[in-house]
Parts: sequence; structure tokens; C-alpha cells
Amino acid sequence: MTPEPTAVIHDIGYRHYDGVRLGRGRATLALGVQSLRGVFGLGRTIRAKIMPLLLVAIMLMPTVVSIGVMALAKQRVMPYPGYAVFMQAVIAIFLAAQSPYLVAPDLRFRVLPLYLSRPLTVTDYVLAKLTALAVALFGLLAVPLTIQFVGELLVDLPGPPHTADYLGALGGAVLYAVLLSTVGIALASFTPRRGLGVASVIAFYMFTAAVSGLFYAVLRMSGHDSAAPWALLLNPFFLVDSVQSALFGTAPSTGDGYPPGIASCLILLAVIALAVTGVLLRYRKAAS
Amino acid sequence: MTASATPCFATEGLTKRFPRVTALDDLTVAAGTGVTGLVGANGAGKSTLIKILLGLLPPTSGRASVLGLDTAGQGPEIRRAVGYMPEHDCLPPDMSATEFVVHMAQMSGLPRTAARERAADTLRHVGLDEERYRPMGGYSTGMRQRVKLAQALVHDPKLVFLDEPTNGLDPQGRDEMLALIRRVGTEFGISVLVTSHLLGELERVCDHVIVIDGGRLLRSSAIREFTRAEQTIAVEVEEGQQRLAERLTAGGETVAAQGRLLTVQVSADDPGRTYDAVRDAVCDLGLSLLRLEQRRGRIEDIFKESTAKEPVA
Repeated sequence: MTPEPTAVIHDIGYRHYDGVRLGRGRATLALGVQSLRGVFGLGRTIRAKIMPLLLVAIMLMPTVVSIGVMALAKQRVMPYPGYAVFMQAVIAIFLAAQSPYLVAPDLRFRVLPLYLSRPLTVTDYVLAKLTALAVALFGLLAVPLTIQFVGELLVDLPGPPHTADYLGALGGAVLYAVLLSTVGIALASFTPRRGLGVASVIAFYMFTAAVSGLFYAVLRMSGHDSAAPWALLLNPFFLVDSVQSALFGTAPSTGDGYPPGIASCLILLAVIALAVTGVLLRYRKAAS
Repeated sequence: MTASATPCFATEGLTKRFPRVTALDDLTVAAGTGVTGLVGANGAGKSTLIKILLGLLPPTSGRASVLGLDTAGQGPEIRRAVGYMPEHDCLPPDMSATEFVVHMAQMSGLPRTAARERAADTLRHVGLDEERYRPMGGYSTGMRQRVKLAQALVHDPKLVFLDEPTNGLDPQGRDEMLALIRRVGTEFGISVLVTSHLLGELERVCDHVIVIDGGRLLRSSAIREFTRAEQTIAVEVEEGQQRLAERLTAGGETVAAQGRLLTVQVSADDPGRTYDAVRDAVCDLGLSLLRLEQRRGRIEDIFKESTAKEPVA
């Protein structure tokens, strides 16, 4: 005789969902978290992880060297406030490589209508993407700075620790994150092709850096010494550096200083506002 | 109309003009629960109507409501309660179906654990098995349509808008998709608005059909209403067709001869009577019956008639 079955599989058919339904805010947060993970290649293919992790490793190198020198030679190598300007090429590559990932696939594969057929609005979507990239960029700057600061405290150099410099640099990191993420997303969202997005962001950085350097040199040589520092502000990294030194009293990373702080602050705000408006307009159009 | 207390959706004098075209022209229509088909040629205004019903596109004039909610002011509430499967491709190729559907469930407000459960359930219901873990870039059209349907159902909406779900499918895939839509409407208890440019395929799954053309309403009626009226049975006998026809006519049935076939109109108020009469007549006359089948008038033919009768500007 066969033993009585102890377990039975029932086809219970379709079940309705009567659990919690969270609001728009939580959906936006979920989108932001998913985007942030994606920026660092988490939850994506191995190939997608290589670039961000490589760049993170490069960003950490000066920190490791710096701590080593502090420990062995008892000397400070790299000041905190100048770290972003020093590493600007790496940060620009990170921005160029990752901002198109955040926006281009949704445009190219037309996923956007699926988001918008849910309670999420265009503004929520843009906010989630901008915040994800801003947090990623902040982390990219803040983590090496913090490691270096902890290193400095542990090595215990003669004299007081450079806490004010460290905090000023963290404040600057917030500014970098906001400016670069808005500009990066604005440039990348204009094309559904990821490759073009990468090219346009990197071209933007190279163009502004080159023009800024060129104008600076020309103005200097032609004797317009007071006008020359304004040319520096064309480079987004020097722009933030000047605002950082105006707001947090850090030393400028260039030899002869910047134009008045208030001007830099206004330019920074104007660029951010312009970029955010551009992104919102772009998505209003894409949504209809 | 099959409407319950609140219609699934209703429009009133709905008009949408784009700079160059009028997509919807004074459309007043309503549909109840169950499966509603929206039929029209390409460019008839089907997708525009869905966008307005989702609250994503403001109408030029007129009003619309979905599940008793006004599209003008309550778009977010509507989008919380409905699902939408677009006509176009919308799947990122490097994500797996599971990841994608979980993500879309979260976007509808489900917490992560619930989203995972619902995604697994929904993908199983639409018939996606082991392949749901593979990147969607390698999926066939049939599989892609299933994922698109799954993301529209994952948050257990009260109503789903399916825009051309059978597009690009082979005949077998079409049948499977239509059967799935029928299940969504009946077994799942989710009301469906499904669009197609093919009337013939919708008559199999819909309770109610709305036909629009050039943004105007051509006809809106329940399938039962006219399929009942049109129901006939076809009878074929080896010999004695004439005798059978006479006998049935004498009994009060409406009979017509079509070649070797006799078509008998089924009595609308007592269908059983007609079947009995045919059986008894064949028996009594001692004829050998070759064929006895139900014939449903195809709604496509009826709409052809109605469009011919009422010329549309």
C-alpha cells in the first residue's frame, strides 16, 4: 500500500495584492537607490562594474600615497581643499562614463512611459536621477578625503589636525556633486545614445578646461592681470574651488586667487539653475 | 452596456487636437467591468485616448474619468490603480525580466519584498519560466509581450490598458496572448481595455467593443447583444434538403438554403426550441445528418454593415 501523501500542491490561481502601497516619495527613493547602485555597477554585469570600480581605485591612490608619506616622512603632501582640482580629470571621466548610464537607456529603450504611467512624475524621475549621481560624486570625493583625514589623525602629525580644511573640502564636495551631476545629466539626457552622451560630457569638460586655460594665459600675457582670474571660472572645477574658498575660507588651488566670491557663487547658482531647467524641459518634451 | 455602478472609464465630449491633426473628436463613450475592446485603424486615436485616460495628456475639451476618478485632477490616483502596457517596445535589454518587473513593482509603490513576490507570481501567470532570469535582449517577441503584460499587472491594478498586445505575434502567439487577456479579465478579476486594429481577434475575448474611426465613435455595444441576434445553425443532410426545409418552415422556423447547407435562425427568446425542431425533423424524416453546427455571426460583418449605413464624415 502506498503511504498517504503528506504534502499536496494546490494551484491557488491568481491572488490579489492587499498589502501596503507606498507613496510617490518611496517610489522615487527606490528609483534613486537603484540608480545609485547602478552608477557603481552594482546589480549590473561584470563589464559595467569595471569602469566605476577602476576610477574609484584611482581616486583612492593619492590618499594611500598621502597617508604613507605622512606616516613615514611626517609631512603633509596634499591639502584637502585642492583634492578635487588635483583629481579633476578622473572625476570628469567618472561623470562622463556614468551620467549617460542613468538617463540614456530609459530614453533609448522607451522605458520612460512605464515610469510615467505610474504615480511618479517627470520631476520625481529627474530628482531621483540627479540625486543618485550627486550622491555618487559626493561619495567619490568624500570617501578618499575622509580616509586621509582618519589617516592624519592616526599618524598624529606635529601640530593640530587640519579639521577646518577637511570640513571645507567636504562642503566643496557637496558643491562639486550638485554642479557636476546637474551638468552631466543635462548633457547626457539630450541624446538617447549612451556613447554620444559619454562623448558630449567629456567634450564639455575638455572644452571648458581648454578655453579657460587659454583665456587665462592670453589675458595674463596681454597684461590684463585683473581680468585673468575670471577666465578660470569657465572651468567647472575652478568655479567650485573659488566658491569653496569664498564660503569655507579654504586656500585657492591656483596661485593668484579668484574674482570676488559673491560673483563665483552667483555664477555657480546660475549654471545649476540653467542645467536643472534644461533637464526638466527635456523631460517634459520626452514625456509628451 | 455591461456597466456596474461606476463605469471603468467614461468620456464626455472628449476632443484632442494636435497642431496638425484632430486625434479625438467629441468622443462620448463608457465601458463597464470586464474586457472591453477598442478597435480602430492605425491613427484612429486609440493611443491618444489611453494617454488621456492615464491623465498624462490634457484633452483640448471635454472630460474623462477612470474608475470614478477625474483625469484632469486625479491623475496620480488613477495611475496608482491602473496598469499600462504600451504598444512600443519598452524593455532594457541588459536587465532580466525578474529584475525589471520587481523594479516596476517598486515604482508602483510596492515594498521590495512584496515586489519580489508579486513579480515572481505575475511572471508565472503570464507564462515565463526559467528564461525570466536571462537578459531580456535575447527574448522573442512573444516573451517580450509577456513581460510587458507582467509589468502592467504586477501591482494588481483594478484596470489595465493594453495597447495593441498582439502586435508582431505569430498566429499561435496571438491566440496565447488573447487567451491570457481573457484570463486577466475573468480569472484575475481585473478589467481590461485592449486596443487592436483587428476586430476579428477582439470578438473572441471581449465583453464589449468600442469602434472608433478618425477620433469619432462608430459604435459601442456589448458583444452578446448582436451575436445573440445573429446566431444561426447550419444543417447539412445527405438527401432531402428540400423536405427538411419545408418541414422546418411549416414549424415556424426561419430557414435559408446556402448551397448544400441549410441555415436556420435560432429563436432569440427560446433557443432550445429551434435545436429541438431540427432534431425532431431530421429524425422524423429519416434523413442522414452530415453536419450540424453553431454559426456565430462575425461582428466584423456587422460593423461593416453599420459603417456602410452611417457614412462618417
